[in-house]
Amino acid sequence: MHDYFLPFGPQHPALAEPMHIKLRVDGETIVGSELVLGYNHKGIEKSFEARPWVKGVYLSERVCGICGHYHTSCYCQGIESLMGLEIPERAEYIRLIIAEVERLHSHLFGLGIVAWEIGLDTLFHYIFRDRELVMDTQELLTGNRVHFVMNVIGGVRRDFSLGQAREVERALKKLEDRVDYYLGIFRNDASVKNRLRHIGYLSKPKAKQFTPVGPNVRASGIDYDVRETGYSAYKHLEFKPIIGQGGDALERCLIRLKECKQSIGLIRASLANMDRLPKETSLKIPAAINIRQGLETVSRVEAPRGELLYYIRSAGDRPYRVKIRTPTYQTFHALEEMLKGYAIADVPVILASLDPCFSCTDRMTLIDDKTRKERIVTKHEILHMGGGSHGR
Amino acid sequence: MAADMLLILIFQLLVFPGFAAAFFAGFLYMGLSRKIAAHMQHRIGPPVRQPFYDFIKLMSKENITTKGTIGVLATLCPVVSFASMMTVLMFIPIAGFQLISFPGSVFVVIYFLIMSSAFFAIAGFAAGNPFATVGSIREITQLFSYEFPFIVSLITIGLLTGFQIVPYSAIGFPFALFAFFMGVLGKLMLPPFHIPEAEQEIVAGPLTEYSGPRLALFELARAAGYWTLVSLGAVFFLGASDIITFIVYSAVMLLALIIFRTVFARIRIDQAFRLYWFVVAPLALIDLIRVMVGMY
Repeated sequence: MHDYFLPFGPQHPALAEPMHIKLRVDGETIVGSELVLGYNHKGIEKSFEARPWVKGVYLSERVCGICGHYHTSCYCQGIESLMGLEIPERAEYIRLIIAEVERLHSHLFGLGIVAWEIGLDTLFHYIFRDRELVMDTQELLTGNRVHFVMNVIGGVRRDFSLGQAREVERALKKLEDRVDYYLGIFRNDASVKNRLRHIGYLSKPKAKQFTPVGPNVRASGIDYDVRETGYSAYKHLEFKPIIGQGGDALERCLIRLKECKQSIGLIRASLANMDRLPKETSLKIPAAINIRQGLETVSRVEAPRGELLYYIRSAGDRPYRVKIRTPTYQTFHALEEMLKGYAIADVPVILASLDPCFSCTDRMTLIDDKTRKERIVTKHEILHMGGGSHGR
Repeated sequence: MAADMLLILIFQLLVFPGFAAAFFAGFLYMGLSRKIAAHMQHRIGPPVRQPFYDFIKLMSKENITTKGTIGVLATLCPVVSFASMMTVLMFIPIAGFQLISFPGSVFVVIYFLIMSSAFFAIAGFAAGNPFATVGSIREITQLFSYEFPFIVSLITIGLLTGFQIVPYSAIGFPFALFAFFMGVLGKLMLPPFHIPEAEQEIVAGPLTEYSGPRLALFELARAAGYWTLVSLGAVFFLGASDIITFIVYSAVMLLALIIFRTVFARIRIDQAFRLYWFVVAPLALIDLIRVMVGMY
């Protein structure tokens, strides 16, 4: 049988967001794939340049719906380092707790999607039911179920009360039981293992070559977690990244589940440590921030999907450039390698096991509509696009 | 006398166990299995009458033939698929109602059941869509996988009943029963064998390009499939001879299907092939040999 193209996306039931993989298929086997991005470009990086520093916080929250808190953390952390600020320790702990709660949410979400992609609706519904517990916790702590807007430059917006902390403890206890239950399922259930084991394998050398990040690279046996560097409150806590050797979809799921348990531990430890700290959560920062022109910084945090990186360069009262490198962008380099040789039936499973987030990853290419040729945009052109601070 | 016979014949064809029963009971089975599965999954689920609503809604829609679809085939396939299921129904004695019965009717049943699945696959090839094509290839592959143990199980019991479909309790032949049940899962494309129409992989498989009345007819064919196969199991393998046992055994069969549906993840087509040929088929053969040795 001759090979043919099977379009996977941009609209496909397995994808929640528009993304396109051109699959070259021979029967049911994939012989090649090409990733096409650009259906969802929001132009956020460019928009930063047209806003004062403070408004950028709200913009960065909107990069992603699932890991918005990490984006604001990363952005605020960068600006704080540009301004040379030391935020209160309590604020650091609160940032960490929200981040870990959001990680729990994101990991459970991703695992639920994996369960759905392998056609096990029951597990999907179970996991999503338990994810509600995390959502409720998020609402309890921040007032919102998504897009918490907890971070401000110089600290956080809200403090926790003792009662809230106790509620969180109660939810964590329930969640821990559930995570243990799911660990049992992913470890022992033949039906689940059947679809995940030896699928989407990424060996350690290949992982080094393509450098995915987060649980995806840790599942291939590479010790890489930004939390180890001890940013924010992680320096006060004991932390050791979870590494697996399997390199396949099952290992990636197991790593996520183990990280859920780890997050629960981190939240507990933080809540205990927070008790003794003064109730100061934010520095007093004027709304109109001015940073010396040309100052630049790189800020990193460990988002649920891996290392999130912000490069920020100042243009005085607003950024000159904000460059966001999202974890999924980094992970997609390895996608073609992971898909090759597997069946069509494995494509959604492999994709879901990477826990991708397309909207924050999207890039675009300029294509001349007459000649159909791709064109490289010069720095001068991009500076004058969209009426940013430099365009005017 | 002849007029009476004709009336009974028409009643059986159109009302019970024929068209009307297949329509109502089939959609009821589908609605019930969705509802019960939903409760097993900790959600509320659609109302039991949802498949009826769907059917009526689809029937009232415009008939669309997409570019590249062979229109005649696309209309014919669901009709033939439905008609073959209805034909099978005539051979099954449901609570004393039986239209045709002769030694060897088991083979006719096997033949028409294959027809139904084959036309489902042809419908995919007629649509000219890559997802539909992949779905159809999978459907054919799956047909070749489950058909052998399924036929073996029917022949095992057929040997004991003179190849005639009569109420027979096959509890003494658990492997044949198991093979039949796995065959039903494959034929109805229920999890873990919903491979030809795996939503996450190939959209809706053979039915990707189908909408409106044609899709409604396919739904009807599937409803008829539920009714026919569950009845066949209740009568030929569990031995339902009157209306009460028939209802009880049908419920047992349906519940078993629902439990399978909620417990297992979808398997890949190559895994399904291996499972049917290397696990289910040898087990089914054990019972066949037992019967043959016992008889001859």
